[in-house]
Amino acid sequence: MIESPTPQSGQTSANSTAPAARRLVLVGHGMVGQRFLEALVERDGGGAWQVTVLCEEPRAAYDRVHLTSYFSGMSADELSMVPAGFMDEHGIDLRLGDPAVAVDREARTVTARSGETFGYDALVLATGSYPFVPPVPGHDADGCFVYRTIEDLEAIEAWAKTAKTGAVVGGGLLGLEAAGALRAMGLDTHVVEFAPRLMAIQIDAGGGEALRRKIEELGVTVHAGAGTQEIGVADGRARTMALSNGETLDVDLVVFSAGVRPRDQLARDSGLAVGERGGIVVDESCRTSDPAVWAIGECALACDGRVYGLVAPGYQMAETVAHELTGGAKAFTGADTSTKLKLLGVDVASFGDAHGAAEGCLEVLYSNSRAGVYKKLVVSADGRLLGGVLVGDAGSYDLLRPLCLAGSPLPAPPEQLVLPESAGGPVAIGASALPDEALVCSCHNVSKGAIRAAVAEQGCADVPAVKKCTRAGTGCGSCVKMLTTIVQDELAANGVEVAKGLCEHFEHTRAELFEIVQVRGITSFTRLIEEHGTGLGCDVCKPAVASILASLSNGHILDGEQAALQDTNDHFLANLQRNGSYSVVPRIPGGEITPEGLITIGEIARDFGLYTKITGGQRIDMFGASVDQLPLIWARLVAAGFESGHAYGKALRTVKSCVGETWCRYGVQDSVGLAIELELRYRGLRSPHKLKSAVSGCARECAEAQSKDFGVIATSAGWNLYIGGNGGMTPRHADLLASDLDRETLIRTIDRFLMFYIRTADRLERTAPWVERMEGGLDHLRAVVMDDSLGICDDLDELMQRHVETYEDEWRATLEDPERLRRFVSFVNAPGTPDPTVTFVAERDQIRPARPGEEGVSLPIEGSVDGPTAGLIAGPTLEVRTS
Amino acid sequence: MIRRQIAVVGAGMAAARLTAQLFARDPGAAVTLFGDEAYAPYNRALLADVLTGRLPAGTIGLPSSAAQVRTGVEVVAVDTAARTLESADGSIAGYDTLVFATGSNPVLPPIRNLHCTSNTGEGGELKQGVHAFRTLADCARLAAAVPGARRAVVIGGGILGVSAARALAALGLPVEIVHQAPYLMERHLDEDGGAALHRALDRLGVAVYAENRAKSLHGTDRAEGVTLANGYRLDADLVVLACGARPRVGLARAAGLEVRTGIVVDDGMAASAPDVYAIGDCTEHRGVVHGLSGPAWEQADVLAARLCGAEAAYTGSRVGARLTAGPVEIAAFGDVDPVAGGAHDVIRLADPTRGSYKKLVLRGDRLVGAILVGDLATVGALTHAYERDEPVPADPLHLLIPQGAPQ
Repeated sequence: MIESPTPQSGQTSANSTAPAARRLVLVGHGMVGQRFLEALVERDGGGAWQVTVLCEEPRAAYDRVHLTSYFSGMSADELSMVPAGFMDEHGIDLRLGDPAVAVDREARTVTARSGETFGYDALVLATGSYPFVPPVPGHDADGCFVYRTIEDLEAIEAWAKTAKTGAVVGGGLLGLEAAGALRAMGLDTHVVEFAPRLMAIQIDAGGGEALRRKIEELGVTVHAGAGTQEIGVADGRARTMALSNGETLDVDLVVFSAGVRPRDQLARDSGLAVGERGGIVVDESCRTSDPAVWAIGECALACDGRVYGLVAPGYQMAETVAHELTGGAKAFTGADTSTKLKLLGVDVASFGDAHGAAEGCLEVLYSNSRAGVYKKLVVSADGRLLGGVLVGDAGSYDLLRPLCLAGSPLPAPPEQLVLPESAGGPVAIGASALPDEALVCSCHNVSKGAIRAAVAEQGCADVPAVKKCTRAGTGCGSCVKMLTTIVQDELAANGVEVAKGLCEHFEHTRAELFEIVQVRGITSFTRLIEEHGTGLGCDVCKPAVASILASLSNGHILDGEQAALQDTNDHFLANLQRNGSYSVVPRIPGGEITPEGLITIGEIARDFGLYTKITGGQRIDMFGASVDQLPLIWARLVAAGFESGHAYGKALRTVKSCVGETWCRYGVQDSVGLAIELELRYRGLRSPHKLKSAVSGCARECAEAQSKDFGVIATSAGWNLYIGGNGGMTPRHADLLASDLDRETLIRTIDRFLMFYIRTADRLERTAPWVERMEGGLDHLRAVVMDDSLGICDDLDELMQRHVETYEDEWRATLEDPERLRRFVSFVNAPGTPDPTVTFVAERDQIRPARPGEEGVSLPIEGSVDGPTAGLIAGPTLEVRTS
Repeated sequence: MIRRQIAVVGAGMAAARLTAQLFARDPGAAVTLFGDEAYAPYNRALLADVLTGRLPAGTIGLPSSAAQVRTGVEVVAVDTAARTLESADGSIAGYDTLVFATGSNPVLPPIRNLHCTSNTGEGGELKQGVHAFRTLADCARLAAAVPGARRAVVIGGGILGVSAARALAALGLPVEIVHQAPYLMERHLDEDGGAALHRALDRLGVAVYAENRAKSLHGTDRAEGVTLANGYRLDADLVVLACGARPRVGLARAAGLEVRTGIVVDDGMAASAPDVYAIGDCTEHRGVVHGLSGPAWEQADVLAARLCGAEAAYTGSRVGARLTAGPVEIAAFGDVDPVAGGAHDVIRLADPTRGSYKKLVLRGDRLVGAILVGDLATVGALTHAYERDEPVPADPLHLLIPQGAPQ
């Protein structure tokens, strides 16, 4: 039994003669055995090998990885790995229920249990492993099981019908699957793990704790750090279980899942070299100490000194031997043992150096006990990803594992790679971060570049086509999400459009959600996601739904549940700026303002030390306010008759105007008057994205109306309406929707256009892309809003009427309500002390945020030791130097 | 009209806040501050910035000039029956309303040989090179000593000690912190947060000796080094004592007021004699003694309102520690390390590659504690959520990472 390699030589005579088919015996027909057969016949077109398979189980190879799905109704046939007719087609002699019992290497024969003897030229051992059952008293009583074969599961299922409490010995992958199965069969379920945490091999302490919490939530009791000492037996049946921590559990069903051992007995008996702790010793070509004998899968001790208990390395070994036997070469020197799986609904993944063993490495961590998420990345001192553990959310596994294997520098700050998607995590970074050589599907060795090529060069138009073409995603299936992203990106890059729901929580588009909210009268996010979505929502769907709710119900944006859905800008009804200060923009309809109004704004800016700038939308922006100043500033603005300009919101911003016929020698209509009317009509209208507008008084177009979401240009006969324009990153000239409209028709048309947009656009989709992607284009839009081709105009009109009637100024309402005001109270721990992280320097007679490395001053500083005392509202005490 | 004369003993942050609030409500109020420091009220929280030169001493002043501020005047006795104060120079002043805002004194640690030994032994002057870090005067002395110093030891790794060490390191001195607890700022941080702070200080060249006690000082009249309890000796010619503070209650006790650790006050800030009140670090409210400016100012606000006839009550503060505007930034408040298995939820985000460690402790939809080390981008929202005790956003992670910039 001691490891003693027995070199065999001079045994090649059988090989050297045979123009006829040589004989190959495969011992074991599990997943790896079957993969070996497939790889062999694929390469052995001429039928050089005549194959006999000896299989111990009564059925041909089946999917042991998904064994547990047998309990959820998957039949043994459905689990089968063998395509119909495979054996006949390739002339393979499969002997079920007839295991090999002896090998005579001298004679090159294998004897089966049936007594039949098979000569071989090549022998491949794929005997797999057996479950380890700790030798505790009572371990062989009735009611004790292992979890390995379909027969084991059938027996457990039968026994469980009369059982009440089950215990699983072993908190590894298989043990937790078994526990899930027992739980699903209605048993009170315990997991007993000797190590101090669950899945001790794959994940670290923090990950184990997160997993434990998740699993206990499912009603499974976990006893970690406890050994099984004895199974108490009565009438031959298991009744109790004594643990090393002193506990005793009443049980009537026990599943042992305490690890597996390589099945190397046949090899030992025939004198092949085996490892000290088991496993048939093989070299890089998976050949044993006998050159005519190979070993693959869980029974083999690979040349890197490891026994691989995962199917993917087993497949690689099968490929290696198939190459060897057909004149090729493909060394197996070791495999990536990264794993990702779903245990009882909990994602668990580990890859690379999961325990942070590397010298000088750093551990980047995100954990959230509420969400049951634990993510840890091990990063080398020079910033490469070495490994990681993901529990509760393994969505980023497909991105991180290839990054880890590629050894390339990280594409983003490590913190971003552990954050959830809703917070701009790795999926937001996307597959684009991966290099082309990164391995996406490790089962079939498919790189990102190969997937892109399948789309770009081989014309695959969807994921199934790419799967068929590259085989990617057809193994364990864990890479399908990443595969889908890469395929969609590549399709998009090639100009093919891909339909998508709003986010993972809603399968509906924003337009569909709008319909749902309106038709069903839904007024809260909670109800919408409960009835029409899944999960808790994210930063994609929450603001989108908040916007829909605001568009439809016109309630105050800071009320109730709504407040929590908003982003920062809406949260404080102001625009967050670079250094953490806020800017304030009062509405100045049409850009028309009285001298008193200007003076008020000037005085406020002066009193609060704010930087002022005229905006592109013909109003005045005041920068540099702290949150606690906002109500004070607005109190004065509101008292002077100003309203919120909604510069912070996805809503109507401004209606810009030229001075029009009132003053201008060229003007043909009162553009200012119309602009004011439009701005007052649509103020506060929440929409999928910001809305900008302008009115020009003549064809010279000084107000630039054709670069707006909706723009109006005066004609001698009325008004021309343009829609779908914008400036910004992708400028678009607006389209002429209708000409020479009278004022009433103009406004009605705009009403309908806006409501139709709000109702059907995607989240954060401005009018320009919305118009561009509209089927039927501008003609369709015209038909809908002018000819009522969809019969929805009454509905649109009513929605807009409700908006106009229920509009209230958000800032006035906020100031009147102490509850809403509470959120604006001073931020700093010493109230009144300037927030030292918000600093300014002087430039061109005003303040601006200090840049990194620049010594700025906090504002406001109230007075000085010897200086005068400032008022309660501090003025600008920053010395302004003109250089 | 005859105004009630309001006398405030102390001219620190609480006194300044009270004054400002009184004048906001009643521009004609008659307030006199008696301060034993040579300065008018200033913001003590910014002393480290003055030490590094980041802020000129003149800019940390607090508004108080509406009151009569008598600096350098130590009140030595109070007669609550006669309603008079006696100053060290023997002068007597009457009052209608008296407010104790005497603050706190730094604690001198039990270290042998702290004082000069050439003449009288214990009880004399602190050795040269040994500094407290509490007042603007301390700050000025320390600033004067830094250019001639070679190595500094800070005794105490609480927020004051870390702040002082950070400032001294910024001035180019090699600094070592000796700290008794297992990790830095243990009253405010959890162990991992303390470790993150430790690493950040390492990068600044500040060495930290945690779970260590300073046993004795070397040198006769001038500090030459510190011996630790484990026998290790640190050479130093500058020693900063940062071992906490204790309420200054001697005067109040002598005046017969009820004093436990601090001057005992009710929800209206009233002490145990008629028309006598106390606010700030010197108080003990519902058994709690704060040593931070936040509660002091809240107490001052309540008292100002009451003295002006308005309804107001102080029911306690939710406070935090904060160290900003420097290479090592920290904010922490509340219960940051709840016992495992409770009803709490914990969210942690650590990125040692950029020196950040962030943690939220939630109970239901309320924030009960938080730590930010090395990345204070969200401190505003976090402090707000904590102080107001409002429901946190649906995704509390927003309290740990800044949201995207506006369009």
